[in-house]
Amino acid sequence: MAPLYIVLIIIIFIWSGIFGYMLHLEKQIRLLRESIKKLNKGGVNLK
Amino acid sequence: MVLLFQFLLYIWMVLVILAAFLWAPLAEGLGEYTRILYFHVPIAWLAVLSFLVSAVYSILYIRRRQNRADWIAESANRLGLIFAFLATVSGSIWAKVTWGTFWNWDPRETSIFILLLIYAAYFALRSAIDQQDRKAMLSSVYSLLAFVTVPFFVFIVPRIYSSLHPDPLINPQGKILMEGRMQITFFTSLAGFTALFIWILIRNINLIDLRIKLKQMER
Repeated sequence: MAPLYIVLIIIIFIWSGIFGYMLHLEKQIRLLRESIKKLNKGGVNLK
Repeated sequence: MVLLFQFLLYIWMVLVILAAFLWAPLAEGLGEYTRILYFHVPIAWLAVLSFLVSAVYSILYIRRRQNRADWIAESANRLGLIFAFLATVSGSIWAKVTWGTFWNWDPRETSIFILLLIYAAYFALRSAIDQQDRKAMLSSVYSLLAFVTVPFFVFIVPRIYSSLHPDPLINPQGKILMEGRMQITFFTSLAGFTALFIWILIRNINLIDLRIKLKQMER
């Protein structure tokens, strides 16, 4: 395989790892915010 | 303000990628693989930075006994482990094409492997203890002790033993032997990745604060 493709694979691997983790983090934050909103409205008991 | 930071960071990282591929010259002997330098090294740097942040928050926990500090230390260690893993795997892909094997126990590879084990054990320790105060105290002390090994494995071992790995960025004489445009691209990338790390860490702290708020509301 051409060296440039290897370089691209490595860079895409690094960036996909970072973006994957950031997406996971943002999803967790969104879910928690929704839970807090629901609790504020008094609609759902999370316990 | 947050959106502006995100936008600027996005532009910054796009410029780094463009500079790495179109502007920076190739190093003698490394050819196209020179471009990995601008991504692989900053990722390894972020792993060290994460472990440092974790050590700082571990000290804060030991002094103040606030769970928030322990949770931030834990999330920093998780980040460090992710970055160390990304650096290890990206390095081993590079090793396969240049050395002919994914792994050959080179001093750099051995160092990062031991660091991965040390920090994986941190999470094993945490998962083995149920009581929050005990878990926080033991893992804070462990995190501090673990960080003591980081400078040794990352900065000292690779400079003591001869290695197939390209020379450390700052050589034993304390000089950076890099062409001007390469230096600019590298330090631009390092700054961008460091800003990205700060951003991820802030989001982690936001997540921890939201969890604390939710717990308080549930009471």
